[in-house]
Amino acid sequence: MSEMPVFGGSALALAYDLEARLSEWEAVRVKMARAVADGFTRDEWAYLVQFVSRANLLAAFEQSIGPRGPGPIATTLRPRSPIAVWLPNNVSALGPLVLVLASMTGGVIRVKSGSQSANLCRVFVDYLRANASGGLHDQMQHRVSVEQFDRHDPRNAAMAAAAEVRIAFGSDDAIQAIHALPHPPDSVGISFGDHQSEAWLEAGALDDNAIATMIKVFAIYGRAGCTSPRRAVLLDGTLAQCRTVAARLIAAWPSIVRQDVPMHYASLNVMHQQLNASHGWEVAMAPRSAALVGVAAAEHPAMSGLLSLAIVPATIERAMALLPANIQTIGYCVADPRALVARLAQTAVKRVVPIAQMHHFGPVWDGVNFFRQMFAPVDVSR
Amino acid sequence: MSVDSLLQGAPFGDRDDAELLDELNALTRWHLDGCPGYRAVWPQFDGARSFDELPYLHVGTFKHRDWRTAGPGLTHQRTLTSSSTTGIASRVVLDAKSGALQSASTASILRAMIGGEQRPLVILDHATALRQRGEVSARVTAALALQPLASSIHFVGGEPIDWQQVVAACRASERVIVYGITWLLWTAWGAADLPNEVRAMLSTRQVQFVHSGGWKRLERLEVGREQFDQALLATAGPGSSVLDFYGLAEQVGVIYPLCGAGFRHVPRWAAVVVRDPWTQQPLLRQPGMLQLLNPLAWGAPYHSVLTEDLGRVVDGPCPCGFGGQRFELLGRLPRAEVRGCGNV
Repeated sequence: MSEMPVFGGSALALAYDLEARLSEWEAVRVKMARAVADGFTRDEWAYLVQFVSRANLLAAFEQSIGPRGPGPIATTLRPRSPIAVWLPNNVSALGPLVLVLASMTGGVIRVKSGSQSANLCRVFVDYLRANASGGLHDQMQHRVSVEQFDRHDPRNAAMAAAAEVRIAFGSDDAIQAIHALPHPPDSVGISFGDHQSEAWLEAGALDDNAIATMIKVFAIYGRAGCTSPRRAVLLDGTLAQCRTVAARLIAAWPSIVRQDVPMHYASLNVMHQQLNASHGWEVAMAPRSAALVGVAAAEHPAMSGLLSLAIVPATIERAMALLPANIQTIGYCVADPRALVARLAQTAVKRVVPIAQMHHFGPVWDGVNFFRQMFAPVDVSR
Repeated sequence: MSVDSLLQGAPFGDRDDAELLDELNALTRWHLDGCPGYRAVWPQFDGARSFDELPYLHVGTFKHRDWRTAGPGLTHQRTLTSSSTTGIASRVVLDAKSGALQSASTASILRAMIGGEQRPLVILDHATALRQRGEVSARVTAALALQPLASSIHFVGGEPIDWQQVVAACRASERVIVYGITWLLWTAWGAADLPNEVRAMLSTRQVQFVHSGGWKRLERLEVGREQFDQALLATAGPGSSVLDFYGLAEQVGVIYPLCGAGFRHVPRWAAVVVRDPWTQQPLLRQPGMLQLLNPLAWGAPYHSVLTEDLGRVVDGPCPCGFGGQRFELLGRLPRAEVRGCGNV
């Protein structure tokens, strides 16, 4: 075992060799780049390939704990283990992403996935068991388990009772129920609950590339992701400008998203087109029922529909006043973001990023440095 | 011409398309005038030259808002609610004018399929289902569509069936009608162990089984149509038969019976259009989403509904002998999982 790696003056008491593990991830990453594993979309897999890069994994330590390097060691951090992760039915690639970060602690990980979901965590762990080598393979084989059961299963209680860290995704009610299970008093509970995000745009900054980015960011999960823009606010815009943006999005959609949505989504888009129109939205549907884009005043009741993107005009002041209490990410596309970022930092928003980065996942999430919380400080006299 | 004249005569035969189209155009304008929400959905409509140019409402919209058309001579009554496997029931606002037309329509269709003779009607449901204030379930409505053919009505419950009530109904006549939604008729009757007294009585009666509601649950039990029919007929006397009809709460008044050749038949006062699920363009002879149209709905714009059922219109005369439009019902749209962060 090499010396403990040091980040931000904290020595990490990892039970594995960090450099070796990063190399093992790089090796498996080469294999991942060759073909998409069943169950993942191409975009999800591409993001995962990027996520497990050496640079990104090191960045997780640096962003969460501090810059790597020698220097005085102020504290020692011990990985908390075991880590229990609860994923609900419809969770996206966030499941595997959390698993990757949790695995960097070297601890034992037990994942409960939804009883009906396409189990991306299971797929990814199986992939790593088949394709990884060395300590990474051994960890996936012997220290990571993914099980599929429902919220009434007694294994939920067993997970909570044993875990030093509980990571819960889902609705606020589901998360409360998980953390209400008997658990060790000094364990840590991390919650990724009901959040929503918005895109804030300036008409002048929306070149064709930005329009394409907006479509990509929205189309991957529609409004189902906590980082998906549930609406786009055209800052200091007018309804007429919103209509123009909507028309550009609709026109560009088929060239950006080439694959048909599932038949059922196409049908739901027809339904929501009609419901939203009946409620006063000006709604246009992208070709082949791929998505809806609606225009109305910022105060109009929200559009319905998974693949419904609302474009509303508002001043910055009005947009800030209308932010939902559970706002997570503001994705921006503006000429000069500095002033906007400074103002948004005074709100409850958790992330302010360019629209292209809205779905980027990191060790600080929902305003919580959760990766750091997977380590416990150890008081070591020197 | 009027809807009343359309309802005259046998239901399954050559349709006067021009007459029906006129009625549907007029009805569409009626709803555009009387229902602002509908007008917001179809603001550009200025008349259809064919059935496939007629506006429609997606069937799912009835789960999320109440549609209601105001107009002279209309009295809105109870709200029809559908059973639902998704947890959200469809709601269709009924009115007296449409109700009369819808009753005449279903009675005509059923008479064509099972004869006009009045018989005891055994309904696999509870009478309490009739007593909900302001609402009536689609399940009860489907059962009561048989009322014109009933000499008496016997609610015999669901699971378990009150078999003494069944025996009482059978004592009244040599021929009886038994109605149940498809899965209940199977679990409570076809797959059940009938008491000997009931079995003996039924073996001497000509039973017309009628069911609706679809095969979704039975598919999970891997029960096929042949097995279903055989199990029911094994409990009944000579001359008994089984009739399956397709209908929607959002198309109350028109039912599409399954013929012996395996096709659903469309009465002369209704039409079926098949649409591409992604473009909504009409399809000829290819499978797609079914749009169902009829001129019976005045109190709300459910005269033209885009369903989430897949089907295919079939040309040419049907081997069963019925004329008019017919289609093959191919099942529901396949569902896809919504992926996100688990908080929607």
